[in-house]
Amino acid sequence: MSTAATGTRPPRWLGWTAIVPVAFLLVFLAYPLGRLVATVLDVDGPAGFARQLQSPALWRLGALAAGQALMSTALALAVGLPIANVVSRYRFRGRALVQALVTVPFVLPTVVVALALRSLLGGAVPQGLLLVVLAHAYVNLAVVVRIVGAQWAQHDGSLEIVARTLGASRARAFVDVTWPALRPAIGSTAAVVFVFCFTSLGIVLVLGDPSTRTLESQILRQTSVLLDFPGAAATALVQLLVVSTVLLLGLRAGRRTPARRVRPVPLRRATGVARVAVLTTAAVAATIVLAPVVALVLRSLRVADGWGLDWWTSASSVDAGTTRIGSPLSAIGLSLSYAAVTAVVAALVGGLAAVAVLMPGRARATALVAMVPLGVSSATLGLGTLLAFGRPPVDLRGTWLLVPIAHALVAVPLVVAVVAPALRTTDRRILAVAATLGAGPTRAFWTAYGPVLRVVVVASAGLAAAVSLGEFGAASFLARVGSPTVPVQIVRLLGRPGEQSVGVAAVLAVVLVVLTLTLVLAVDRLGRGLRRGQAA
Amino acid sequence: MTTARLEVRDLSVGHDGIVVAGGIALRVDPGEILAILGPSGSGKSTLLSTIAGVVAPLSGRVLVDAVDVTTMPVHRRRIGLIFQEPLLFAHLSVGDNVAYGMRRQGVERRQARRRAAELLAWVGLPGYEGRRSDQLSGGQAQRVALARALGADPSVLLLDEPFSALDAELRGRLAVEVAARLRDAGVAALHVTHDAAEAEAVADRVVTIDELAR
Repeated sequence: MSTAATGTRPPRWLGWTAIVPVAFLLVFLAYPLGRLVATVLDVDGPAGFARQLQSPALWRLGALAAGQALMSTALALAVGLPIANVVSRYRFRGRALVQALVTVPFVLPTVVVALALRSLLGGAVPQGLLLVVLAHAYVNLAVVVRIVGAQWAQHDGSLEIVARTLGASRARAFVDVTWPALRPAIGSTAAVVFVFCFTSLGIVLVLGDPSTRTLESQILRQTSVLLDFPGAAATALVQLLVVSTVLLLGLRAGRRTPARRVRPVPLRRATGVARVAVLTTAAVAATIVLAPVVALVLRSLRVADGWGLDWWTSASSVDAGTTRIGSPLSAIGLSLSYAAVTAVVAALVGGLAAVAVLMPGRARATALVAMVPLGVSSATLGLGTLLAFGRPPVDLRGTWLLVPIAHALVAVPLVVAVVAPALRTTDRRILAVAATLGAGPTRAFWTAYGPVLRVVVVASAGLAAAVSLGEFGAASFLARVGSPTVPVQIVRLLGRPGEQSVGVAAVLAVVLVVLTLTLVLAVDRLGRGLRRGQAA
Repeated sequence: MTTARLEVRDLSVGHDGIVVAGGIALRVDPGEILAILGPSGSGKSTLLSTIAGVVAPLSGRVLVDAVDVTTMPVHRRRIGLIFQEPLLFAHLSVGDNVAYGMRRQGVERRQARRRAAELLAWVGLPGYEGRRSDQLSGGQAQRVALARALGADPSVLLLDEPFSALDAELRGRLAVEVAARLRDAGVAALHVTHDAAEAEAVADRVVTIDELAR
């Protein structure tokens, strides 16, 4: 006889679906990382690795990258916190637009951001640390505004009022009450932003100089210029250690939120001087986000004797690329097909991993394990994949498989992050209702979760495609010489002299902006539809 | 404990220029507890927020001991405010919550802590200084809020339905207890509620918000 409890559980066979993500991660993540470690140890055993670790050059590079990442994080927080305050706490006309705009830099490919910043500031700010720091702060504005803003939106303003009735000035109330409430969110955000800047590659290559090299760019250099694979593997392991440590510290900081009931706090309308400050901050935020994008579009239209579509019309010619790598247009076709494969693979693997959150006990850990690629930089991933599948006995370099596999690994955590919460918030009681109406476990599961799964899996596939379109780090290791992806093509074009190269690179960057934003907007639309459906 | 006379003259309160309650006049003498009765949405809470300086009045004046405090910043008025919920600072211990107002007035840390311990004992929570706010029951947390408000030595204390989040039995008991403490402290208090029984139990004088309006 079946018990009531079995009616509220997903079908048993669902547990077996975890095999797919586990196998994928073992083959395409654990094995390549294992190869990476083996390559380091192959040279001279642990003693050799210890010697590599003692290299002053490695530590000097690490210190330089950490300094750059700290400056970038500080700037992102300094600019992002006032914007987070305004968009998460105040009601004003255009608030939703500003909130959406601030997200744009984060979804844009890093190579595109780099070229956009160069188009805007190239004349005024020389290549180097300042430009790199500005670009990193620009990209991470959304991280600060979204994460800290979410915490700030839930923070009960009555606590400041209490502090003020007890004699605290406005500034004192902020320091005593608001800051402690935001500190955990700011700590974990700072960790995420630091890691992003510390492992930056595309921005550093396009905007940096020798003083701004990161461990990530060093890995690329050691692999493609110096052909020092053991050295590259050692650098990758050091970077992995630093990144894991910082992320764990961020996780700990994020957990220190004082326990109190969370309740929605209504947006307030600012008056007087505060209103002017709110509107000014919103206008500045919109300008900061839009100016580089506008500069990029203008750059694609600026020709030697004024304005024109010359770079756009020449994008299909081989001459605009290089005779060796084909036309820019063919790179777009290739990137789109990689994005399509990535979308399917990541949605399948990530979707099945996310379903594990519905399972009892240890099976749930699958969803957590699928988030691991998040802590592995894309160059580490690219190098590991190259070491594992780019040489005998398994040499896939001649096939088109390597780039989409690496892109799927990068995208899987994103898919899990989208699908798992949607499944968790779906009302589990519908399983029981369906069961009491005569549905078997499988039918009841589809009745309860099918509608949500269909939407979130399609939405996350769209996000995975967007990630693939803009991904540069892994593709720079894995893309075949004759068939670069669009971001790789952009960097190669920027490395060539001549106005035409920069102009065509700008054209490709604008195309990427349009493709990425279209995908993200479509995903956002699907998400809104789902939220309306869940609320109904 | 400092105490003073609170006077409100022709005060109109509301939000975004919309009047919720207009032409209000009232007076609370030193040591007196005045209860204002009114249904939800009648502007009771907005009236208290305006007197405390949290919300700007649409018109009218607020005086403490004949001094016009209408445009004075919240933190300089020395008007305490207790909300429906205790709103304790979760990152501070119970003792530091109570000492908070004293510290803002420049009381030395050790002395503030000693006084906080006395106040906690006075509200029936002796030895609770080191506890976290999430270790308290609803009634205990509201007593801490009372101790915290009185610790700041306010001239006037405003209570905005401070017991409404508690269950009926505890509400009745705590209302009587708090009234006794307020009388003991001799502070002028303005208590708003929609519960007539609570108003009668707590106050020296009970009026409806309609009676206060012009």
